[in-house]
Amino acid sequence: MQEHTQLTQRQINEDLLDTVLSTPRWWLPATLVAILVFLIGASAFGYMLNKGVGVTGLNRPVFWGFFMVNFVFWIGISHAGIMISAILRLTQAEWRRPVTRAAEVMTVFSLMSALMAAPLVHVGRPWRADLWVFPYDFARGIWVNIRSPFIWDPSAVMTYLTASTLFVLVCLIPDLAVIRDRTKGWVRAIYSILSLGFRGTPRQWKLQTVAGILLSALVLPVFVSVHSIVSWDFAAQIGPEAWHSTIFAPYFIIGAIHSGVSAVATLMVIMMWVFKWDKYITRDHLDSIARLLIIVATTWFFFFFLEWVFALYTLEDPEIAMRDLQVFQWPWSGMFIVFLITAYFFPVPMWLFKKVRRSLFWMFVTTIAVNIGMWLERFLIIVPGLMRRGHFIFDWGSYHPSIIEILMVAATFAWVILGMLLFTKVFPLIPLFDVKEGMVFRDEIKIGRRTIPASIRE
Amino acid sequence: MVDSRDAVQKYLIGRHLEPRGSRFFIVSIILSVLTIAGIVGFVLRFQDGFGQGDLWGYYVALFAFIFAAAGGAPMVAISTRIAKAHWPRSISRISELFSIVSLFGIILFIPMIWILPDMEDGRRTLWFFGKLNVPSNLPHILTTLGLVSLVLTGLFILWLSLMPDIRFLRDMSNTKKGSWLYNLSAGWIGSSRQWFMQRHRIGILGAFYFMTLIFVHFLIAVDFSMTLVPGWIDALYPVTQAHNSLQVGVATVVLTMFAVRYFGHYQDYLTIDQFRGLGKLMFALSLLWFWFWFSSFIVLWYGAKPSEKSVLELLMTGPYIWVFIAAFVLLFVVPLFTMIWNPLRRSIWGPTIIAGCVFIGAILDKIRIYVASYSVIDQAGLHEIEHVPSTIWPGFADILIWIGGLAGCVLVYMLATRILPVINIWEQKELKLYQVHKKFHRIEVQVLGKPE
Amino acid sequence: MVQVLSAIMGHRSVVGLFSDEDSAADALDALQAANFESNEYEVLTGTPYPDGTFGEAEPVHKLYRFPLVGAICGFSVGLLLTVGTQLGWPMVTGGKPILSIPPMVIVMYEGTMLGAIIFTVIGIVFESRLPRLFMGAYDDSITEGAIGVAVTTSQDRVEDAEKVLNKAGAERVKRGWEKD
Repeated sequence: MQEHTQLTQRQINEDLLDTVLSTPRWWLPATLVAILVFLIGASAFGYMLNKGVGVTGLNRPVFWGFFMVNFVFWIGISHAGIMISAILRLTQAEWRRPVTRAAEVMTVFSLMSALMAAPLVHVGRPWRADLWVFPYDFARGIWVNIRSPFIWDPSAVMTYLTASTLFVLVCLIPDLAVIRDRTKGWVRAIYSILSLGFRGTPRQWKLQTVAGILLSALVLPVFVSVHSIVSWDFAAQIGPEAWHSTIFAPYFIIGAIHSGVSAVATLMVIMMWVFKWDKYITRDHLDSIARLLIIVATTWFFFFFLEWVFALYTLEDPEIAMRDLQVFQWPWSGMFIVFLITAYFFPVPMWLFKKVRRSLFWMFVTTIAVNIGMWLERFLIIVPGLMRRGHFIFDWGSYHPSIIEILMVAATFAWVILGMLLFTKVFPLIPLFDVKEGMVFRDEIKIGRRTIPASIRE
Repeated sequence: MVDSRDAVQKYLIGRHLEPRGSRFFIVSIILSVLTIAGIVGFVLRFQDGFGQGDLWGYYVALFAFIFAAAGGAPMVAISTRIAKAHWPRSISRISELFSIVSLFGIILFIPMIWILPDMEDGRRTLWFFGKLNVPSNLPHILTTLGLVSLVLTGLFILWLSLMPDIRFLRDMSNTKKGSWLYNLSAGWIGSSRQWFMQRHRIGILGAFYFMTLIFVHFLIAVDFSMTLVPGWIDALYPVTQAHNSLQVGVATVVLTMFAVRYFGHYQDYLTIDQFRGLGKLMFALSLLWFWFWFSSFIVLWYGAKPSEKSVLELLMTGPYIWVFIAAFVLLFVVPLFTMIWNPLRRSIWGPTIIAGCVFIGAILDKIRIYVASYSVIDQAGLHEIEHVPSTIWPGFADILIWIGGLAGCVLVYMLATRILPVINIWEQKELKLYQVHKKFHRIEVQVLGKPE
Repeated sequence: MVQVLSAIMGHRSVVGLFSDEDSAADALDALQAANFESNEYEVLTGTPYPDGTFGEAEPVHKLYRFPLVGAICGFSVGLLLTVGTQLGWPMVTGGKPILSIPPMVIVMYEGTMLGAIIFTVIGIVFESRLPRLFMGAYDDSITEGAIGVAVTTSQDRVEDAEKVLNKAGAERVKRGWEKD
């Protein structure tokens, strides 16, 4: 039976603007800790700028390490926003309503983290590397090489960042009007400007509704392209074994959805637990997302299987030697086992149980496990892939991350947390108007002794 | 449109029992003649024996196409049931009935057991032949088993969904006790336990059908085409084939829906809602087609190893370039730029014409892949293609086989609709429970219930 | 400022606040009966309702044209950028042709989508008739569940509008220039 509470608009405002109109006690310490971690990472970055990339564990031949793993990881997480928001909007799934914004905001901040990880930090001297991407050097007539995946990549990520930020902002307008009406003085003046004079006419609501669907339909193909293009950073080249595979684009996408939707589930648990919004995000919602995760995880596993099968199908020695390294040689073998268990074999059987799907604790544990697994997956693709480059390579290095890299990676995590914390202080994390609309469109049908949840369709 | 549940049942059963008329009879006769012509074509082709693989490319392409279309069509019912949507209720039977056509597909598969050489020709295979102790005809065994279990699952789903309708049919007509149609209802009395079990069985079998469909496509795509082309290593290819099956499955359902609407006069049940819903699906599937194709293409094109270059030449840029371009346009460009447009999607003719394009595009796509693959079958043991053979055009026998194969499918489907109701009756009755029209202040709205 | 501008334009606005949907719909009927033009009154709500709930006309918009125009612009820029840069610095890299179409497709695709999305967002704001510099008659309780029926009309008809709104059962009627 679905839980269902009919709430008034006033009550919804009071509940969901709680963090905006007043400050919870834990908010400031949490924010300060996030700022501190971020600043430590930023200092590590400064140190690296001063000393050079030699202070990291990167070496020849393992040129890509923690930073690139993190880049792919955060791009993956960023796929959650669009997955939840766009697909569920287009399919008119009712349970999307309270979770869309949190997911979209996570998209924006994790994309920023991804940008921090690769084009800013990873290239070592960003002012040299990034200036051949943007702005163009018109003076000398030397142009970027658009045949390179490293140009496709920024074009996709920047499109995605712009699109998802605009998506969040457009959907915020009606909620900003609600805050405007609840505040006074200069704060009200700021929200008045931000809400653009929104009054809630039928025309404005119609446009909001159409915008949600239209932007979802437009952002969805962008989201698919982003991770595909990230995967081609790897797959297009024929150097490292195990990277040159046609399956990479869909494999990366489905992996990103797996880790991203898990991250949204983690976020939902946190919202229920910390903000006590369990009237809005219910255990039914957790149940729905866990069911979705079973399908997503299994599809991901199928692609993982295909990737492996066709690696072995090549019957080429370097490829098989690389697989041997991943699975049988310490410490990669240990990581491989942890990866498989945490990404699939622990969470998925757990989600088959209704009790787990409806438990805050177990959903938190399983979804965090997925992201540990998915982080390791990227690590196991990148690092062992680079360690064995073929017959005539005499540099067979290994890779150990330095403390500098670890601090910078920690900073990207701190950045996402900090971004979310700052967002909740200024904007509502659950879309008020979407929840209110759900209340208006909700109905029931009585059949005999049963009451079936129903919704109004125009 | 009739309103009450009993009236729906009475109306639909009445429509089903109506005599079919002379047009149905004449079309059946023509299709039978064409099917026989197909058999003649097969006999002509068979005179050269199974030894020359390159002669059988068109035959294998026909099987691959029919398997893709008839295997993919039931997924329309299965996937929309999982999504608990109400609009596909009137097309679920139309899509499930294609399992009977798949049965016809199995007959077409039988010669392929001899057409496909065993693994001793030294080709690269998935099965570690020579390294592990596996029989040299393992692909033949596995594909046969997979195909049979897929078709049986599809038929089982069809039977489960038919049970209540057969019971209605039996109660409202003079079906004799002991006749096979009578027995098909398997003691259905409509107890709540039976309904409960039926819902769960259909759900579980649907999931199983989907997984088997992907698995069988994996086997056929790899063993019956990819391994025959030296140097073709494309991990995404099996998935593209499974996806193509869904795409052409949806197109086939749209075309069938159109025929049932006009010739069966089911205008009240097959409305713009159904065409529009499937139009949207065709749009999404055409985008996916491009994504899968491009994801494969860019990696092979960018890698540009000699083996990859020759594979691209064989399948795309070489002897079959025009077939490829036509397939590209019909499977991607046309559906994308038409189905994106709401007024065209919200019509009967729009989605139908586009479905026709997708249907033809899928035929060309299968021809491009399978004829090309079988044209290099003599090079199978090499590391990469040594020379790309020139275009193989269809012979007279091939044309007869294709016409006969397609006519046979239509004939089987038509005869099935003669015996089994083409619109799912119990799902229509159930819809009446969950669909309510009511006044909401100044407008009339539809309230749709979503049971657990 | 609002007063000055409204006075110059000769229009005043007034909003009646209702607690339920049916009385707001009655107010719309009454305004129509009192010969107010359909562009003189509108419903203000704190949540979306199905089109026509209050008997109002369904809003007509041209939002779908925006992404189309944006996509064409984005595609053109993408095409220009990719063709121009490749031909402008014709250096063979990775054995690829000077004018390599597959990579162009990727960058042009991103350009097309970016153009479409930016134009859509502009379209949403424009078609919503935002930003609106002067709120006119409005009340904070609208975002708390009250349903407002706002009438913007010539100065001499404001009182008529107020009467109609009161008669239709408005809990409160408020003029545009009133202070809270």
